[in-house]
Amino acid sequence: MAVSDRTSWGGRFLDNPAAFVAGAVAVLLLLDLVRRLVTGALGPATLMTYLWTGLVIGLIYGLAGIGLSLTYSILNFANFAHGEYVSVGAFSGWSTAYIVAGGSIATLGDLFLLRPPAGRVGVSITSAPLAVVVGLVVGVVVTVAMALVLDRIVYRPMRGAEGISLLIASIGVAFAVRYLLALVYGTGRPGVTAGTRRFFVGDTLGLGRFIVDSHQIAIIVASLGLMLGVHLLLTRTKLGKSMRAMADNEDLARVTGIPTERVIRSTWILGGGLAGAAGFLVVLTQGTIAYNIGWLLLLLIFAAVILGGIGSVYGAMVGGVVIGIAQQASSIWLRGPWSDMTLPVTFALLIVILLVRPQGIYGGVETT
Amino acid sequence: MSADSDADGESSVESGAAAETLGDDPDQQAAERETAERASASTETTRHDADGLLAVRDLDAGYGDLQVLDAIDLDVADGEYVVIVGPNGAGKSTVMKSVFGLTTFMGGSIDFDGNDIAGKNPEDIIHHGLGYVPQNENVFAGLSVRENLEMGAYILDEFPDERLDEVFDRFPILRERQGQKAGTLSGGQRQMLAMGRALMLDPKLLMLDEPSAGLAPDLVDEMFDRIDDINESGTAVLMVEQNAKEALRRCDRGYVLVNGGNRFEDDGDVLLNDEEVRQEFLGG
Repeated sequence: MAVSDRTSWGGRFLDNPAAFVAGAVAVLLLLDLVRRLVTGALGPATLMTYLWTGLVIGLIYGLAGIGLSLTYSILNFANFAHGEYVSVGAFSGWSTAYIVAGGSIATLGDLFLLRPPAGRVGVSITSAPLAVVVGLVVGVVVTVAMALVLDRIVYRPMRGAEGISLLIASIGVAFAVRYLLALVYGTGRPGVTAGTRRFFVGDTLGLGRFIVDSHQIAIIVASLGLMLGVHLLLTRTKLGKSMRAMADNEDLARVTGIPTERVIRSTWILGGGLAGAAGFLVVLTQGTIAYNIGWLLLLLIFAAVILGGIGSVYGAMVGGVVIGIAQQASSIWLRGPWSDMTLPVTFALLIVILLVRPQGIYGGVETT
Repeated sequence: MSADSDADGESSVESGAAAETLGDDPDQQAAERETAERASASTETTRHDADGLLAVRDLDAGYGDLQVLDAIDLDVADGEYVVIVGPNGAGKSTVMKSVFGLTTFMGGSIDFDGNDIAGKNPEDIIHHGLGYVPQNENVFAGLSVRENLEMGAYILDEFPDERLDEVFDRFPILRERQGQKAGTLSGGQRQMLAMGRALMLDPKLLMLDEPSAGLAPDLVDEMFDRIDDINESGTAVLMVEQNAKEALRRCDRGYVLVNGGNRFEDDGDVLLNDEEVRQEFLGG
């Protein structure tokens, strides 16, 4: 089946007029991109900046998407509270980073609530690497704990319920957690990161000078490291293989003696932890934090997961990067008054890819 | 075929009520078995109780509120090869699923190797040495052949390398294809992988649900040969089969199930030559 799916790419274009038009538009955009590069309307450095920032944000989408994809395939529902797991990771992680870096500049309570201005606390990967690392770890741990508690009190009593009931329950969970965060931290959008070192790269490669900052490098290192970890877990360990087995065929997993509840718990630990990490990291690159940060990201994370093929972990990673780069690179065409169109265009791209390949990039090829 | 089996279904209901000469056979056997147990007299049925592995008594089971099985009795002795046949919807697969804890238990008893497993869940039952191969979707399609076999040994703390070798020796094609995704295997290879997965725990009893279903005709015989091999190496086999004649020819003992209840039980050859069984269930 997987093979025939791959070979039918061409066939799909011909069978599906919408896909054909979309493909034609894609080719035109590509030709236009080349024209802009050749005529100098678009400098190579600008293009590289779009690709680079798209990669950074896309890896975060991918990281958060892994958990969403895993819960979809193992617990059989789309978890709309996943964005709030991202938010909880962000707030718990940054509160911790503030406390570690802030020392005595403010009371513990004020530091926890992220009240002192970012410039005075000075959290960045270069000025306070320990605070960033500890913040990331605590963000992950707190999100894991919350995921397990929520499973125990909400999802476990509903085990075996229809996917739609679970989905609606998860929307309730999302609201509850979001407004709890708003209650504690308020509804402002404070900046929390201090400036960090910037590098100009690309001169030697003839790509022009574009800016890379150390936070972006930290994000790429951390997310690629975590993704490698997920890959090794899923392919090399008994636990990871049993997670894939259960995602594949839950009934057979039970017949084989795989303890399904333990696998579900591991899924929450893995998915929740990665969502928490993504939340902490997205604040590291955006610089600001807000109670609805995860909710706003959720649609993009969903887009990444659906694009990659829902249920597929590798699809979530690849889909995240594609969505991230598309979102950034659409600014090449969407300038001035059109610049607000980047999100609609990103989702349009999702629709177009699904028209061509309804099962997603990895759907039907790789179940995990 | 479908018209015939409808007629069979009706006649079996009637026969249950009328209890004519052959219709009272199962009742009589059940009664015999009970007295044999109490008195430990050496009748035909005590052969199974002497070294009994699986003993199902008076089993009622179904799905949710729907009762499918009604007072099922079933025995499998150590190393025995037992086949369950019967028309569509007779509850053959449900018997197996019920033994493995996959249905709603409603009454009766299921003893396996000295353990009461009635109403237990599969995660517990598998620890007692009972292996089960479902009819459909019986491999993890997205996992490699080798990973499927590894999952078969999930409950063991230490991976049994020698068992893996034995399974590979039994099914050499699996060794050849061990890195390949199970979903890309042919139907026959999948069936071998499904059996191999269950054999990773060296079960005392292997339950197979229609192992020949969906196989090309030339592969069916090969599949039956392999099941013979498994049985000859000491594993008891309980099998549900549509291919009733071939299955009865090869097994030690057979059960004919109708409408969720026992109808006939005897040695495979005897059932095969029984005029009524032939007429009603084996197509003449």
